[in-house]
Amino acid sequence: MILKLLVRRLLVSLVILFAVSLLVFVATLLLPGDPAQAILGQQATPERLAALREQMNLNDPVWQRYLSWLGGLLTGNLGFSAASGGPVSELLGDRIQASLVLMGLAALITIPAGILIGTFSALKRGKAFDHAATGFSLVLASLPEFVIGLGLITLLSTSVFKILPSVTMAPPGEAVWNYPIQLILPTLTLALVVTPYIARMMRATMIEVLDSGFVEMARLKGVPERDVIMRHAVPHALAPVAQVIAMQLAWMAGGVVVIEFLFRYPGVGQALVDAVTNRDVQVVQALSILIAAAYIVVNLLADLVGIMTNPKLRTEAVR
Amino acid sequence: MTSDRSPWHFPPGAGPAPSRRAILGGSLALGMGLLLSACGSTAAAVLAAPTGTPARGGTLRVGLAGGGSADSLDPHSPVSTTDIARVVNLYESLLYRNEDFVLTPLLALSATPDAKALNWKVELRPGVKFHDGRPVTAQDVVATFARVTNPDDPKSGAAALSILEEVAIISDSVVEFRLNTPTATFDDSLGQYALGIVPADFDVSKPIGTGPFKASGFDPGRQSVFTRNEEYWRENEPHLDELVILNFSDDDALINALLSTQVDAIGQIPLALLEVISADPRIDILNSETGAWLPFTMRLDQKPFDDVRVRQAFRLAVDREQMIEQVLSGNGTIGNDLYAPFDPGFARNLPQRTQDIAQAKALLAEAGYPKGLDIELVTAPIQAGAVEAAQVFAQQAAAAGIRVKIRRVDTTTFFGDDYLSWTFAQDFWYTRNFLPQVNSSSLPTSPFNETHWDDPEFTALVKEAATTVDEAKRNALITRAQEIEYERGGYIIWGHPNQADAYQRYVAGLIPNKTGLALSGFEFRRAWIGVSS
Repeated sequence: MILKLLVRRLLVSLVILFAVSLLVFVATLLLPGDPAQAILGQQATPERLAALREQMNLNDPVWQRYLSWLGGLLTGNLGFSAASGGPVSELLGDRIQASLVLMGLAALITIPAGILIGTFSALKRGKAFDHAATGFSLVLASLPEFVIGLGLITLLSTSVFKILPSVTMAPPGEAVWNYPIQLILPTLTLALVVTPYIARMMRATMIEVLDSGFVEMARLKGVPERDVIMRHAVPHALAPVAQVIAMQLAWMAGGVVVIEFLFRYPGVGQALVDAVTNRDVQVVQALSILIAAAYIVVNLLADLVGIMTNPKLRTEAVR
Repeated sequence: MTSDRSPWHFPPGAGPAPSRRAILGGSLALGMGLLLSACGSTAAAVLAAPTGTPARGGTLRVGLAGGGSADSLDPHSPVSTTDIARVVNLYESLLYRNEDFVLTPLLALSATPDAKALNWKVELRPGVKFHDGRPVTAQDVVATFARVTNPDDPKSGAAALSILEEVAIISDSVVEFRLNTPTATFDDSLGQYALGIVPADFDVSKPIGTGPFKASGFDPGRQSVFTRNEEYWRENEPHLDELVILNFSDDDALINALLSTQVDAIGQIPLALLEVISADPRIDILNSETGAWLPFTMRLDQKPFDDVRVRQAFRLAVDREQMIEQVLSGNGTIGNDLYAPFDPGFARNLPQRTQDIAQAKALLAEAGYPKGLDIELVTAPIQAGAVEAAQVFAQQAAAAGIRVKIRRVDTTTFFGDDYLSWTFAQDFWYTRNFLPQVNSSSLPTSPFNETHWDDPEFTALVKEAATTVDEAKRNALITRAQEIEYERGGYIIWGHPNQADAYQRYVAGLIPNKTGLALSGFEFRRAWIGVSS
């Protein structure tokens, strides 16, 4: 049953991806100017524009460019970047890795932290911890990420304590994780942005679950409080939280553009902005498909978590 | 993790005493606590600017805003600021504009015209070698200009070289540039940074030039690493072992990198932040007066600007001092609707135009707009201050009954299909002398004639000046042409912004530069790192 569900979801996802690719292609065509103009900027003379357009195959009809791109995609060839002239896969490879590293690190911190804080807040409802956590997460959730990032930079890098590097820089060809200390501030910023959402969702669903009939029943039956929480309440609360986590992860995959700008982090967000400014259609396409795919995958995972943590669905699945 | 290449703690210089930065970086690397590092940074605040003989060695890390995956090492088509910084350090042109904006020999020893300014003889500097050790010959010069003007793939300089008929080899070290139109200031064209001389078999994947640095690592949109050219022809230069140029897409990140000592120098900081940054005792500011300009462009062939009275009214509506104060935070020189302020023929004696609302209103009424007029101003962040200038102008002009509607677009849109055909917009130009500027922007045949300026009297004067070899006579003609521009031109030139850069005090050898290029015109051959104890 799970398998059938998965296959159906995957087929739908493919249709969605195709629609996304069409939409993005049309959207990039609607942007004023073409890659040649974007690259040459003020330096553009008609002669230079003509030469560059010829080099970049911009004179081919639109549908032909789209079809050849789609064909390439199906055979695993992402095409060539108009801006750099190199293959898109080469251009994006380390960008994707870098973003995945940042996303993974942030997820490692935020998911357990959010669940823990949320659970405790729910258990200590109305007590000092709950008030502090709620207040804190409200403040953090209402601050734009660049404010949090700039605050951390001021505190830990440029003005108060000068102990952490403020921007990411690695020599050409070296990976970002060779300098773990440079990852601290961006990870921390992301964690501070994302954790409040997870914690607040966890608190809300946990309170709902704690107030529900089956928890009351378990308590009345004399199940130890520890088991009530760990075996009955938390799993039930996790499914909706998984959705929130999925959305947050997908948001990160889309490139936390602001954070990447602030920390000069070489991720997909920055690559996407660069590609849009350069009207670099192939790169924009590849990145949007990738981000759309990431959305689909994490949402699928969230659904899976939902099924796994719901005893009813779980047993059905096993049968 | 603490490899020598760790970019945030390169030891400055090769001096024996451990520097402040090395201590700071070292303590970080060892994971020592807040305390020691905090002490380290307090002590760093008293670093003094180095003086005396330049020290050899070390790495200079330069942060610049701009660039992206379209970055290139092509000597002849630099587009972004980071491209220019790379080109200036890898390649050298025959002549160049020095820090005082004086045309100075570089790979040439001299460039002399014949009596008619139709043929220019250029003698090459002897003993100059390319990065791969081969000597620079006349053939290489010919090949370089052939590459730039290749009709199938014209490079940046091609438009200005349309007058070039052929480059003839006279001897191994002398070439002659033969023109189809007499041009008394052709040497200015030879002095463009985008005309670096390259070997005849040049291939951009092996970027070889004669510059003070050699390319050793290049990652478009991210950073480039250059090493010292040991065989550089200037004695004792460059001082640095290594030069790292880093792209930043955001000003905040750029400034933070400087404040956290991850870079040693940053180019073109927002003028509004100048005061804040200079308050840091570790940081020095390089504030250079330039001849760059950020004009409003009025299209003369369209309503309402086809009436000279309207153009004059618009020029009179501007409070130039307030513009400099609000847009440039006071860091700029006042403009008089004329470009090329460093040209020897600059019309210095024309009265400074100032705001005169009554006169502007009267002129508008005379032109048939007694109730003022509505106008759309197209602006984009094409340069620091452009959008702000548009906003300030809109405010100032309101007093004269000019109701400005600002239309803000992104830079690519601005330079897109409608560039050069906006009715009322802005543009940005670096420092240039009068005739080269006119060739670019103010003749009916110019590639960038934003104002659609086509004034027969002006064009005749310019043509005459271009062929006049006698300098005094030429300058007189230029002054006359500028009087016409001042009276009826389509530009509102309210000021010339300064170029402000910031660098750590331990960096020496950076001097103010009038060209408008950041950080000493990117001439990092002069820069050195002072190891302070």
